[in-house]
Amino acid sequence: MSNPMKGSMADRSDDHLVDLAKQGDVEAFAELARRCQERIFYSIFALTKNHQDASDLTQEALMQAFKSLKTFKQRSSFNTWVYRIAVNLTLNFLKKGKRDGARQVLDESLSWAEAKEDASPSPEGSSLKKELSRKLREAVDSLPLPYRASFVLVVFQGMTHNQAARVLGCSENTVSWRMHKARKILQASLNPYLEGR
Amino acid sequence: MRCKTIEKWLSDRIDGELSERKIKSLQAHLERCPSCRSYAAALEKIQDEARSIERLEVSPSFWEEFTSRLRSDLSSKKQEKRLERPLVKRWRWAGASAALTLLIVVGLYFLLFFEKPVPEMYVFSYEDSLAQIYREIGRDPELETLFNLVVLASIGESLEGAGWQDSAGFQESSLLWENLSEEELKLIESEIKKEEKIEEESHEG
Repeated sequence: MSNPMKGSMADRSDDHLVDLAKQGDVEAFAELARRCQERIFYSIFALTKNHQDASDLTQEALMQAFKSLKTFKQRSSFNTWVYRIAVNLTLNFLKKGKRDGARQVLDESLSWAEAKEDASPSPEGSSLKKELSRKLREAVDSLPLPYRASFVLVVFQGMTHNQAARVLGCSENTVSWRMHKARKILQASLNPYLEGR
Repeated sequence: MRCKTIEKWLSDRIDGELSERKIKSLQAHLERCPSCRSYAAALEKIQDEARSIERLEVSPSFWEEFTSRLRSDLSSKKQEKRLERPLVKRWRWAGASAALTLLIVVGLYFLLFFEKPVPEMYVFSYEDSLAQIYREIGRDPELETLFNLVVLASIGESLEGAGWQDSAGFQESSLLWENLSEEELKLIESEIKKEEKIEEESHEG
C-alpha cells in the first residue's frame, strides 16, 4: 500500500522527519538517511579505503541511529549525530583491526584505482602530479588515526573545526592542533615531491 | 619559536579558522621569513592536491542497492520491535507484580515481627536540670555557693509569691522532708542549731 506522505517526505525539514521517524515512520528515516548517507560513506571510505567496509559501516551507523533514535535529544543536528555514530564505529573498527590484511591491500588498490578512474580526468595531469597524488594518499593513510580522522572531516568533507569537533567528540582546539600536526607530517613526507612541482 | 606559532596559524588559515588580527600578523611575518613562505606554499599545494584526489564518484546503482538494503533492514527492525513489544509489556507486568508482592511480604514481616519502640515520656525534672548545672560548675566552691544562694533566693521569692508565711511553714511540709537522707537531715539540724545559737547570742548581746 502506498504511503500518501511518501511523496512529500523530500519537502520536510530534518526536524520534522526526525519526529516522524521517532514514531516509527520508516519512510521518514529513509529520507533522513538519503540526505546524509553519501557524505558519511565518503568519510568512512577515506578512513577505511575500502568500498565494502565503507558501505557496511554506513549501513550499520544508520541502523544504529534508527535503533537509538528515541535517545536523540536533538541538541545537535541529525547529520552531526549520525556522523558521530559513523565516525565512532569506523574508528573502533580500525582500532580493532577487524579488516583482513590481504583484503585491505587488494581493496585499497581497487578502490584507489576506482577513485582515480571515477574522478574527472585532468587533461594537464603529468606523471609528476600522479606521483604526488599517489604519495599524498599513502601519506594521508599512514597518518595516526586521530589526525587522519580530523584531516578527512576538515579537508575532504569541508567541515569547520567546530563541526569536526562535534563529530569527533573533542574540542575545537584539539581539532586545530591535530590539523596542524597532520599537515606537518604530510609536508615532511611529501617535501621532495612538492619542491619538484 | 615564532616560526612554530606561524606554522600553526598557517594551518588554521587554510581551514578558515584564523582571526583577522592574526592574519595581519601572519602576513607581516611571511613578508620577512622565506622559510615560513616556503612552508605556506607547501601546505597550499597539499590542500589543493588533497581536495582533488577525493572526488570519488559512486555509481547510482550502488546507491540504489544501498537504499534498498537499508529499507529492508529498517522494515525488519520495525517488525522485530512490533513482535518484541507485547513480550516486553508482559515482562513489565510480571516484574511489577513481583515487586508489589515482595513489597507486601516485607511490609507484613515488619508489621508482625518488629514491635514499635514505645517512646519514653519526657518529664521535666528540676533535679535533672540542677544536676546538669552542678556538673557544669564543676568543683569550684565559690561558684557553687553563689549558685546555691541564687537558688535559695528564687525559692524564697516563689514562696513569698505563694503566701507561704501565712501557712503552717514549709518546714512542716512532709513534701520537703520525706526524700531527704539521714545525713542531710543531720546537716539541716546542725545548721538550725547554729542559727538558733546565733539568734540567742544576739538577744543576749
